[in-house]
Amino acid sequence: METLTQGNLSLLAALTALLPLITFLGITLIPGKQGRGAYFSIFNISVSLLLSAFLFFKIWNRNIVHEQLSWFTIGGTEFTAGILLNNLSVLMLVLVSLISLLVHIYSTMYMLGDPYLHRYWAYLGLFCFAMLGLVIIDNLLIVYMFWELVGFSSYLLIGFWFTKEAATQASKKAFIVNRLGDLGFLTGIMIVFSTFRTLDINLLFGEEGLVAQTVGSGIAPGAWLTIAGLAFFLAATAKSAQFPLHTWLPDAMEGPTSVSSLIHAATMVAAGVFLLARIYPIFDPTVLVVIASIGAFTAFMAATIALTQNDIKRILAFSTISQLGFMMIAMGVGAYGAGIFHLVTHAFFKCLLFLAAGAVIHEMAHFRAKTEADFDHQDIRNMGGLRKAMPLTFITMILASLALSGIPFTSGFLSKDAILIQSFEWADSQGGWVKLIPYSALLTSLLTAFYIFRLIFKTFFGEFRLKGQFSDKVIIHEAPAAMKYVMVVLAVFCLFLGFSFHPLSYEGSWILQGLPQQAIKHASVFDYHTFIPVIVNVLAILMIALAYKWYVKSKQAPDLSSNPVFLFLNRQWFFDDIYQRLFVNGTTKLASRAFLFDKKVVDGLVNLIANIGIVLSKISDWLDRYVVDGLIHAVASMAKTIGNFARNFQTGRLQHYLLTMVLVVLCFFIIKLFFPAI
Amino acid sequence: MIPLAHFMLVSAILFCIGLYAVLAKKNAIMILIGIEFMLNAAILNFVAFSKHDKIALGGQVFALFAIVLAAATVAVTLAIILNVYKYYRTIDPTKIDQLRD
Repeated sequence: METLTQGNLSLLAALTALLPLITFLGITLIPGKQGRGAYFSIFNISVSLLLSAFLFFKIWNRNIVHEQLSWFTIGGTEFTAGILLNNLSVLMLVLVSLISLLVHIYSTMYMLGDPYLHRYWAYLGLFCFAMLGLVIIDNLLIVYMFWELVGFSSYLLIGFWFTKEAATQASKKAFIVNRLGDLGFLTGIMIVFSTFRTLDINLLFGEEGLVAQTVGSGIAPGAWLTIAGLAFFLAATAKSAQFPLHTWLPDAMEGPTSVSSLIHAATMVAAGVFLLARIYPIFDPTVLVVIASIGAFTAFMAATIALTQNDIKRILAFSTISQLGFMMIAMGVGAYGAGIFHLVTHAFFKCLLFLAAGAVIHEMAHFRAKTEADFDHQDIRNMGGLRKAMPLTFITMILASLALSGIPFTSGFLSKDAILIQSFEWADSQGGWVKLIPYSALLTSLLTAFYIFRLIFKTFFGEFRLKGQFSDKVIIHEAPAAMKYVMVVLAVFCLFLGFSFHPLSYEGSWILQGLPQQAIKHASVFDYHTFIPVIVNVLAILMIALAYKWYVKSKQAPDLSSNPVFLFLNRQWFFDDIYQRLFVNGTTKLASRAFLFDKKVVDGLVNLIANIGIVLSKISDWLDRYVVDGLIHAVASMAKTIGNFARNFQTGRLQHYLLTMVLVVLCFFIIKLFFPAI
Repeated sequence: MIPLAHFMLVSAILFCIGLYAVLAKKNAIMILIGIEFMLNAAILNFVAFSKHDKIALGGQVFALFAIVLAAATVAVTLAIILNVYKYYRTIDPTKIDQLRD
């Protein structure tokens, strides 16, 4: 295999990213049947997966591959573009293509019968292309382009059912909120470029990169780097749905469930965390504290909201926001590897949760169509007892939920413990109010256990709640094979074995060993490595038991719906309302003000000038008509009068002429006679 | 011996009669006659003045010359009047006013 040079590996990486683009172009440019493209896109993404797996084994824990071409030159500055493959890139490459392939397969059944299926495949292709391109490219400017493309293709997919008003609104909201983040990205790029005159990621953020040198030496543009770090973090908050730009993610549930799954697991939201990891050296301690606090706040907030939601997909959406908060905490406390580790494990179990929820929704929708009843098929209050009807879905979803709650022997246990333990260690070294961050993370992880098992118990346990209303001739059954097996594959990845041979110690995980470790280790009073997991698990199991008691045993959970706290949580901390009032209404008001200003002042000015013009021209018209024309008319009429007078002589009669002549001669004669002097 | 003033007076009267005829008559022939009157008044003046030029008699010569001229004029004028009559079917000068436009 020595024949494979660096250049060949980069070409393979480029091909991996380009294959989904070929899917997109092939489906959109070649006309054909409405539902075409399924096999084509699955084939392309499978090849992508194979290529990225190959690249993974070639590059993981070996040399970094970095190939560049000259892109263009402005003045003396040369811009390069190329492919940078390090451990992080190839890990993401495999993750994205694997999850994408599974979602593709799942979609063949889930989206069956949709009249615009070919568009769906094309958009999925574009989405995967954007994400794969994002992880391999080495130039910040092109990363930004792919970043935009991820936003745009997510817009297309969220608004895929564009006949639904809510879907189009949600896609617009996602797009606009993401634009805010893009602003941060662009600002960051500009600061970095004006400071270092290059956009090459390896040159900037590599081991001995410019940023590392600058931060290490402590010279000048420190403040600018802080601002750039905050700007990049703003970009990440938008894509990864962190407070205060998290509101688009729950609304994005209007898209097809398979798309939600893809967005939540591998592509869209992972882009933010990936970006932070890619440019990690730029963040100085100030920014890191901001990242950790925002992450902790978001995680806590989203978990509390998830407690009170009833829409199955919305619960999962808030769960994603919460878990992304965990990744942000990891990034903020310097547990870079743990953040990425959690990104990977989360990708699998969240993808599975969504796909299983999709299976449930799929069957509920069928049930609704058959009974022609009218109920919300995504509302967990309408479900119940589904474990008998859909045992496989039930088992896989339980596995994913255990992973989400961080129960031992699951992948989630490993990554969540990694984050919690490292955040406690970090807090010990910091002191002050930041000590709150690990405790809030701990609390959040307990809430997580509660809300996800509330979902499980309400959906799968007890009796089917709509049974009484409809005759039981319609039986809910397991989802089609394509969907089932995908879920089984994902369920395998929820177990610890995929990531570490030791079920209880995250430090043995190969992902963590492949990524940079937290630099500072602190000996602390507590041995967090045994203390934290025990606490977390005991409390989590207690929470699950509480959920079991409320939702399964007693049939009737305590009714809190009149409680103001419940209302506060149910309305998602009123963020949507606040944003609506503050920004949306403000913007529309500003727009209408501007419109009025335009209409009254600007148009008024123009109209005023126009009116002055009209008055002036009226005056000049009058002058023209009566003075200038009058003069000319006077001259003309004088000539006319004289002419008319002279005309009288021209009678045409010979004798008159003669008489005139005689009279004239006579006049001359008389004049000569009486005034001889003349 | 008849004084010169009498000749002049008769001549002036003849001229005035002729002028009147030319200006007032509604018949081209009568106008032609008026012209002849005026011509003859002039000839009369020539003849009368020639009394003071006994050697050369220039006045009388001029008179003879003018008479011949008058005869030619009459011939031409009559021809014109004939043609006018042929064209307009009238010789009333007040009706022949095409010079107007």
